[in-house]
Amino acid sequence: MSVLWILLLPMLGMILPLLSAKKSRTTIAWLTALPPALALAILLQQIPSVFAGAVPAFEAQWVPLLGLSISLHLDGLAFLFCLLILGIGLLIILYARYYLSAQDNMAVFYTYLLFFMTAMLGVVLSSNLLQLWLFWELTSISSFLLISFWSHKTEARKGARMALSVTGAGGLALLGALLLIAHVCGSYDLHTVLKQGDLLRSSEWYPAIITLFLLGAFTKSAQFPFQFWLPHAMAAPTPVSAYLHSATMVKAGVFLLARFYPALSGTDAWFVAVSLTGMTTMLVGAYTALFKHDLKGLLAYSTVSHLGLITLLLGLGSNLAAVAAVFHIINHAVFKASLFMAAGIIDHESGTRDMRKLNGMWKYMPFTATLAMVAAASMAGVPLLNGFLSKEMLFAETLHQETLGALSWWIPLLSTAGGALAVAYSLRFMHDVFFNGEPVDLPRIPHEPPRYMRVPVEVLVVLCLLVGIFPQFMVGDLLATSSQAVIGTELPSYSLAVWHGFNIPLLMSTIAILGGVILYINRRHLFYFQGQFIEHDAKLIFEGAVQWLVRRAEIVNDWIDNGSLQRYMFLLLLLALAVSAGPLFELKDTVGTHAQLPINWVVGFCAALLVAGTFITIWWIHRRLVALVALSVVGLITSIAFAYFSAPDLALTQLSVEVVTILLFLLALFFLPQKSPVIDSSFTVIVRDFGIAALFGSVIGTICYALMTRPLDTISGYFLEHSKPGGGGTNVVNVILVDFRGFDTLGEITVLGIAALGIYKLLVGMRVFMPSTDGNGRRWSSDSHPLLLALVSQSLLPLALLVSAFIFIRGHNMPGGGFIAGLITAIALIQQYVAHGVVWMKERLPINCLHLIGLGLLIAFLSGLGSWLFGHNYLTTWFDHYHWPLVGEFELASAMIFDFGVYLTVIGAILLILTDLGKLTTSERQSEGER
Amino acid sequence: MLQHLPVLPLLLPLLGGIVLLLPPLIDSERGQRQFGLLFASLTLISSLVLLQQVHANGTHVYALGEWAAPFGIVLVADRMATLLLVLTAFLLLCVQMFSCAGDDRKGRFLHSLLLFQALGIQGSFLTGDIFNLFVFFEILLIASYALLIHGGGKQKTAANVHYVTLNLAGSALFLFALGIVYGTFGTLNMADMQAKAAHIPEADRELAEAGALLLLVVFGLKSAMLPLHFWLPRAYASASAPIAALFAIMTKVGIYSLWRVHDGIFGAQAGALAHVAQHWLWPLAWLTLLLGIIATLSSQTLRMLTANLVLVSVGSLLLMVAVNTEESATAGLFYLVHSTLACALMFLLAGLIVQQRGKAEDRFVASRQVRQPILLGGLYFLAALALIGMPPISGFIGKTLMLSAALKAEAAGWIWPPLLLSSLAALLMLARGGSTLFWRVRGENQKGIPVHAMQLGAVWLMVAALLSIMIFAGWLTSFMQMAAQDMYQGLDLRELFPLKMEGGPDA
Amino acid sequence: MEFAFALCVGVLTTAGIYLMLRGQTFPVIVGLTLLSYAVNLFLFASGRLTVNGAAIIGQSEHYTDPLPQALVLTAIVIGFAMTAYVLILAMRARSDLGNDQVDGRNMPEARDTGSDAGNGDKPRARRGLTRTELRDGKPRKER
Repeated sequence: MSVLWILLLPMLGMILPLLSAKKSRTTIAWLTALPPALALAILLQQIPSVFAGAVPAFEAQWVPLLGLSISLHLDGLAFLFCLLILGIGLLIILYARYYLSAQDNMAVFYTYLLFFMTAMLGVVLSSNLLQLWLFWELTSISSFLLISFWSHKTEARKGARMALSVTGAGGLALLGALLLIAHVCGSYDLHTVLKQGDLLRSSEWYPAIITLFLLGAFTKSAQFPFQFWLPHAMAAPTPVSAYLHSATMVKAGVFLLARFYPALSGTDAWFVAVSLTGMTTMLVGAYTALFKHDLKGLLAYSTVSHLGLITLLLGLGSNLAAVAAVFHIINHAVFKASLFMAAGIIDHESGTRDMRKLNGMWKYMPFTATLAMVAAASMAGVPLLNGFLSKEMLFAETLHQETLGALSWWIPLLSTAGGALAVAYSLRFMHDVFFNGEPVDLPRIPHEPPRYMRVPVEVLVVLCLLVGIFPQFMVGDLLATSSQAVIGTELPSYSLAVWHGFNIPLLMSTIAILGGVILYINRRHLFYFQGQFIEHDAKLIFEGAVQWLVRRAEIVNDWIDNGSLQRYMFLLLLLALAVSAGPLFELKDTVGTHAQLPINWVVGFCAALLVAGTFITIWWIHRRLVALVALSVVGLITSIAFAYFSAPDLALTQLSVEVVTILLFLLALFFLPQKSPVIDSSFTVIVRDFGIAALFGSVIGTICYALMTRPLDTISGYFLEHSKPGGGGTNVVNVILVDFRGFDTLGEITVLGIAALGIYKLLVGMRVFMPSTDGNGRRWSSDSHPLLLALVSQSLLPLALLVSAFIFIRGHNMPGGGFIAGLITAIALIQQYVAHGVVWMKERLPINCLHLIGLGLLIAFLSGLGSWLFGHNYLTTWFDHYHWPLVGEFELASAMIFDFGVYLTVIGAILLILTDLGKLTTSERQSEGER
Repeated sequence: MLQHLPVLPLLLPLLGGIVLLLPPLIDSERGQRQFGLLFASLTLISSLVLLQQVHANGTHVYALGEWAAPFGIVLVADRMATLLLVLTAFLLLCVQMFSCAGDDRKGRFLHSLLLFQALGIQGSFLTGDIFNLFVFFEILLIASYALLIHGGGKQKTAANVHYVTLNLAGSALFLFALGIVYGTFGTLNMADMQAKAAHIPEADRELAEAGALLLLVVFGLKSAMLPLHFWLPRAYASASAPIAALFAIMTKVGIYSLWRVHDGIFGAQAGALAHVAQHWLWPLAWLTLLLGIIATLSSQTLRMLTANLVLVSVGSLLLMVAVNTEESATAGLFYLVHSTLACALMFLLAGLIVQQRGKAEDRFVASRQVRQPILLGGLYFLAALALIGMPPISGFIGKTLMLSAALKAEAAGWIWPPLLLSSLAALLMLARGGSTLFWRVRGENQKGIPVHAMQLGAVWLMVAALLSIMIFAGWLTSFMQMAAQDMYQGLDLRELFPLKMEGGPDA
Repeated sequence: MEFAFALCVGVLTTAGIYLMLRGQTFPVIVGLTLLSYAVNLFLFASGRLTVNGAAIIGQSEHYTDPLPQALVLTAIVIGFAMTAYVLILAMRARSDLGNDQVDGRNMPEARDTGSDAGNGDKPRARRGLTRTELRDGKPRKER
């Protein structure tokens, strides 16, 4: 439980600064420091048990299916890191209180800081792989927020984005690695995994695992070639750099290496990949650091190089090296944090970080200078300081390497070189800044910082000394337990002491120090040499790369999607053709066993007519009126076909829909261009289009033929059987529409209604260009409402209404029904509009089409609902037969109410569409802006 | 009432849509808003109750008109369907709240149309009859046509022309396919088809296969599968914010139908017709995801970026359909819910940003500061994490589920690279976009309209939903696992309508 | 008979698809209409062909399959609604974008996202007018 609190306290603490945002800066700082302090207390409380080898843990289910659970454990390694994160974190909080200026939003800063702290604690405490990854990603996110804290600065934004991109990519790789590990080991539990090292190493996935895993670790701890993001993260406020790049963020990578050391290390692949990367990083980092004029830049690269050193140690694969690595993790955290803070103080008090301006700080801030120099000495590995001890262990380790065979002596040699470089840049840090003449036009006169701003540095520097002088006493147990956790097996024998007598490591240290001094003294030549190369700004390169990627993507995207409907349609049809043609090649015999009807000349003639009409339509498509006439012929034949093949309802519907459609077309044609270019696209395109069209047509035709000539057993028998007894109607089609599948019909009229709404929206505020002549330049007739038409239509109206009523009533038993009746009524009314004009009609027929639609839908809807009263399902119908005198036997069915709803909706929709369209030509058009 | 529960999520939006068209509501803004919200919330409630019922007592089947399946139309409320019902209803509610802030003044009928759109989507999830599915597709399409032009402007009209025409062609193909299906199966009920698939006479098999593959094209068009995706980016990017947000679930209808039809009807039990579409689905899904990545990288505005991320999510989901295992279905289901919410949220935010950023709108160029940088910035940050699939927002669970599903199905080699790269691309672009929109600013902007309370409410609702699906992921995933099992099992009509299969209705 | 029927369906489909691949809205819509004829006939045929066997109880001894007919009826209505919508949409596009091209020649530039209800488009619509093959753009006088 206590383990949980270590994580929980900082997490909950995140709100404190926000709540106290209005309070004084000191109060905020104190409130912020409270939760981590408590957490630290709890942690220290655990010391006895942890050092005794116990592992306090917490376990809770979260997503079992995924294997993700909330499981924390506090083993040696976790303990060590928690100590660093919380301890140094607290110092940073204190430091930041004085570093941040009044303009900076301190509350937000502290919130981010605690967020980051929580994420780091989560990483080190996790004993579930996925949970570990979760917190790992959180560190990337929170560090992004911290680095971009001064978001008004370009370099802050770019640096933060770069850090996020690189570490984010690493995070994805790591996720892959962890999933694979869990796949091999069959568990997401860390302890289970760590026990199955041999299984992992021998599995076929091992290469993939180790690649992805190392990608994740190396990007995080800025190993070569991913080191470039780290220096640019220095755009962050110094407290952030001091925290992220000493104890936490970048250490997460090496933590990961240490964490999975038992499971993954011990193969040649591991040795080569890890130790060589570490070696390279160490040298490159140290070398680059030497040439940095920016104080923080120098420290950043030295961080890179030290991380390389730790990686190298973990790569060497011997347990003693692992111990050394852990030891150096501690030491580096301590001295590097203090150095960053010192640099921050200098920057804060003198206003610059440029070492070409900063000189002779000694006389302005002697106290800070001393602290900084002690820390720097430790960084250089000077005896009696902690840095020296771990570096010696490294040297000692490099001596027993055989993996490179005869060339194994390279390793100690290169390590010494790295040591020398470290000494050199440390010297530069000390000498250049604090001595070396007078400062050059500083923004302001530097002086010692406020008392409490220096406290954190003092604490850490004292630690450097104490550890350096009494290592065993100071960190003996800590090192033992944490290394124990890393290695897994029993500890190798080692002694923490300043003096091991005269031996090769000591010699190497001496060489390193002397070499460093010599290097620094002759730095002019080095700088001159380095000056020949133009320096590349990783930021620019990275941004450039992203830009390049984006541009390429744009080009490709525009190439694929050229905004032409023709292409989209072509691809759609091409795919449809491809998929539907495929199976037909397999189809053995097209003609099935079903008996075919004999053909007669009437049918033949109609078919010929249809084909002719179709061809006229496409041939004269550019003469749009002609095309329309031909189109209507085709429609007519279609309805005849329906009538002939015993589908009277279909025939009637098709016919009446045909009329309305053509009416619409004519009206629309009046507003659309009357002609289109005879040839609108190149010959090849036309051939291509016609080709695919013909292919698809033939496919459909073939399928149709194959279907019709095959026997089929269907569910339709049921409908014929139950239409009369169950649905109360003899016209099975109509019964299906209003009863068996009444739900479809409800949906269908809904579609009609919505279409009317959409069209209404389209027409509002539409500006149309009304031609005064038709396509061939003939003027439109000046008489818009001819008298003859008016008379005829008026006399026709009652008849039409009567017919529609008749069709409606008989619908249930004979061909007909609400839809057809509605169409007929609508057409009759439209005719009146045509004959007399909108204004005339409006006076005589004051109905609102919208309301009509709504009413129709409502009636249909409610007719279905009625059945609920009788405890039946929606749309359950009811019917009965009555006998009235005179009228005689007749039937009432709830389905008829439904049908009436259909009737109204159809009238409303069609009137709305056609009259609104017609209104466009008159004063009745709706005003704009209400769409 | 409980007896009619399964049909309520359809009847309520329908009734709402109708009532809002009639006086007195048609002319009163307050009435439109209040009743719109009322019906939306009723729909949500009914869906939730249905979910609870289904989870407790298993799949509900509702025979409309009490005509026994396969003859009448039945609604099949199983776990998967009801879960998506809840999602849709929730989205509808948020969107309607959002649009109450003034989007509904830009044109008429907005609330009606939103309800009708929801009706179409809900129906497609619920129906157990393939022709009825066609009808509901048409409802959701025609509603979306009308919604897309809401607010007016050339962009919308142009996008609408493409969108409508392509989908009309799609509907025609759908009808061809249905003709083939009926001509070979002799039935329209999906469960019945699932049962009959194995016993299609040898001579008809290829025809049935052609029908199935045509259905693949139809659903592919709905779900924006390559090369049928072209309608999506412009349509989504040009639609006004709340509408785009509701559209976020439209593509998912296609995915759902693919699951139902190609992993269900033509699933393992279908004998010679089993997995007819797999060899097409695999490459197309993969390429869709790839193109989604490319399009994401090429995005110039936030709305376009979000639209392209919808494409990415479609690609990932299609891959899960192609993998076609219980794990993949579970993973896909989770990711579907998550990505729908995330994309919708981002669309809403884009709307708010446009409303505050002046002439630059949501283009990724240096411009004036938005009026409420902290609020919008924070929300953007959350939405971005969700879209990338980074913790602590639920996205990472979906992504991880999909990755491990692919691993278990031994398809990691194919699926992992695009899946991981898509996250990376999203990360790159959203980081760039965000830092440009909120940080690369010159001068304050006090002119922008502050976020309306309703808008804020809607946005927070979505954030809350995202967080809660992360917190309760344990329960949710197990529920989805059961849903996936149900789907692969299919349902047995004979057991549901023991007598009615022969006999008539008991009306 | 079946063969003639299938032939007609094939021809209609071919014509419809060919027209749908044209570059202006009008041919595309005509194409869609032709295609919808083909679709209706096809769907109808899925119930096999029968002569004078209308599915009206008591009218004849053998009945045709009524179900596809019902489906086709639904399809016709929906098809009508869609055709109507797309026709008006074509007019709207013509008035907003100035011409009736759909081959990407007239994609409005990303700048204008038209949050204003149409009235922002006036100038471009006018300019578009000159591009079309229309003689004059003066609204006809009301009578």
